Amino acid sequence: MAEEIKKHRPPPDPNSASYKLNQIAAKAYTDAMEAKERGELVGWCASNFPVEIPETLGIPVVYPENQAAGIAARGGGVRMCEVSEGDGYSNDICAYARISLAYAKVKDAPEQNMPQPDFMLCCNNICNCMIKWYENLAKELNIPMILIDIPLNPDYEVSDAQVAYTKAQFLKAIRKLENITGKKWDWDKYKKVQEISGRSSRAWLEATAQAKYEPSPFNGFDLLNHMAVMVTARGKEEAADAMETLLKEYKQNHEEGKSTFRGEEKYRIMFEGIACWPWLRATSTGLKNRGINMVTTIYADAFGFVYKDFDDMCRVYCQVPNAINLEKARDKRIKLCKDNHVEGLLIHNNRSCKLWSSFMNEMGRQIGEACNIPVAHFDGDQADARNFSEAQYDTRVQGLMEIMEANKEAK
Amino acid sequence: MTVNELLARFHEVAGNPKAQFDAYLKAGKKVILVAPVYTPEELVHAMGYVPMGAWGGDVELNEAKKYCPAFICSILQSLLELGLKGTYEGASAIIIPNLCDSLRGFGQNWKYAIPSIPFIPMTYPQHRKPEFGAAFTKAGYERVIADLEKVAGEKFDLAKLENSIKVYNAHNAAMRNLAVVLADHAEILPSQRSDIFKSATFMLKEEHTALVNELIEALNAQEAKSDRIRIMTTGILADAPGLTSILDEMNMHIVADDIAAESRQYRTDAPAEFCAMDSLVKKFQNMDNCSVLYDFYKKRVDYIIEQMKEYDAKGLLIILTKFCDPEEFDYPLIKKACEAAGIPTATIEVDRQMVNYEQARTAIETFRDLLA
Repeated sequence: MAEEIKKHRPPPDPNSASYKLNQIAAKAYTDAMEAKERGELVGWCASNFPVEIPETLGIPVVYPENQAAGIAARGGGVRMCEVSEGDGYSNDICAYARISLAYAKVKDAPEQNMPQPDFMLCCNNICNCMIKWYENLAKELNIPMILIDIPLNPDYEVSDAQVAYTKAQFLKAIRKLENITGKKWDWDKYKKVQEISGRSSRAWLEATAQAKYEPSPFNGFDLLNHMAVMVTARGKEEAADAMETLLKEYKQNHEEGKSTFRGEEKYRIMFEGIACWPWLRATSTGLKNRGINMVTTIYADAFGFVYKDFDDMCRVYCQVPNAINLEKARDKRIKLCKDNHVEGLLIHNNRSCKLWSSFMNEMGRQIGEACNIPVAHFDGDQADARNFSEAQYDTRVQGLMEIMEANKEAK
Repeated sequence: MTVNELLARFHEVAGNPKAQFDAYLKAGKKVILVAPVYTPEELVHAMGYVPMGAWGGDVELNEAKKYCPAFICSILQSLLELGLKGTYEGASAIIIPNLCDSLRGFGQNWKYAIPSIPFIPMTYPQHRKPEFGAAFTKAGYERVIADLEKVAGEKFDLAKLENSIKVYNAHNAAMRNLAVVLADHAEILPSQRSDIFKSATFMLKEEHTALVNELIEALNAQEAKSDRIRIMTTGILADAPGLTSILDEMNMHIVADDIAAESRQYRTDAPAEFCAMDSLVKKFQNMDNCSVLYDFYKKRVDYIIEQMKEYDAKGLLIILTKFCDPEEFDYPLIKKACEAAGIPTATIEVDRQMVNYEQARTAIETFRDLLA
């Protein structure tokens, strides 16, 4: 019998960006667990809720979307979805919501545990589904809920009426959180958080913009992992440090002709939509094996929260990707495609996300036309493994690649 | 007119909205399409236009698939399909509110799919109760007015809005009254009840109010029957003839409804004590008990149970529109509350493409046997 040969990976460098970022993501859960054990109140928070508010108040929060993605990526998504479906939730409902509702019921998921909530922090600038999901949790758990309502803006620019509406809600959320937790808002601390969040955001935006180089100094799938820190911890000093390290590494990779993308980068695409977490390896390998690097995604732009003051912060939160009209959403993507020399667009028709997918067909056509690139769609789901077909994905990616190849030959 | 003549008129309008649409255009009126839910029709009416309900139709989807993924609700997909097929050509604009995710994206598709009918967004806040929410609702109405002035050419006049609010409040009252009267008249079949509600969408409200009041008067003058099974319905839409005919056949009597296209439209008036615009804002502020409106306390669930008791409904028929997130999230809580209250329920899933209702028939048949 041949001796088993094990591949030994070198231990991670504690000074590397990926080590630091992984630590921050993991620490967010352990910190919240410890806070809960100390008797502090812990919130469940929507990914695009203004994180500056709990951060300034020093309130521990965890992110159900993040947890659901983690559970799905580690293979527990379907098991959890089935718990919710057993309670009557349709399998048409967002799989993050189904996983989260199940977790609040069974209170255990070995793939990613986190403390149960004492209050809910909801923001619907990503989707209205968040409201229903959090309403149900608040009702079932009998806990308070704070909603920040940011409707999709049908216009290109944010109106003063929307800023006023948003600001009033931010201020009300602060007062309500002060009442719930007994902690006090401090404007000086807010300014500090704003500054750190700005640092993290600027470093993130610049790091992701390094994909302008050919070859790109990173594999775009890295962004899907790193963005978790931008979502949950961008107001923390250590996040700003880690993002600056990431930027430094990408710059260095470019200077040294290196990349985290393994193999030759033959084609460069933009990936549209949330990752298929249960099928991350399949979706990544399907690209990598063909020499396709996903050099950019809207996440690159989405979590760069740079603003000058509180009012401006309100305006910025009204402009996250799912809260803007087709033209603005399209133009942001066209810019990313052009800046990063993208040759094809791969769109995830995400069964879990009605809003994100709702005008993707038309927007995809317009982006394809404006950038003169081919566009391919595949069906999938951010967390329900049952809604993805590897064969379909493979066929669509192959088709996309063949057009990109023909385009290259024609040049 | 007799009861039967009135019912025939409602049936005619509900079954052929295109004839209504064409007749209004022929009469020289401008038609503005109003998509669900809670579009501020009073503003349209005040400017002299005909607000025409646009809740899609029972059509096969072909062209709409170019724009919508399969998992967008069929109400909106069929609305887009009808638009793409030219059914609404001649309409001056469409107003689309933003109260669910599918609606949020729908207007973005509409403006490229059917550019000949301009898209007017109505952006409602979910925080409708506090003053800052009211200010945002008002800004949304002002935006609708400005767009209507642009696309259809008429100037907005507050005094005319005051009058339109009266017209709409009178219609609301008539529809509420009708629902109460119908609860005592089992001889009016579910399909006929559906026609009355559906026809409201395609008629000027003053015309519909007159017919409804006439019907109420005629019903009050005739002997009421009570020989059918008393049920309440809940959901977004329940107007498919394939479904309502099964309810007729299964001896059902709808004594109350929580259907978005039916009674939910008429629960709230614009109060008279405010100036016209504020009154319209107040109307939205006062709305409750609906899956697309922020409902932290889930009051809708309690409301359904209360209505069931008030109208002595023996069972709740839950008509779930496929791919409707807001309803699908409320469903487990409604079901649980009914179980706790000892109320029998039956659930059927519907969409605009259903041609075969045999599964629904079986569920309703079992429901009937359970309640009988």
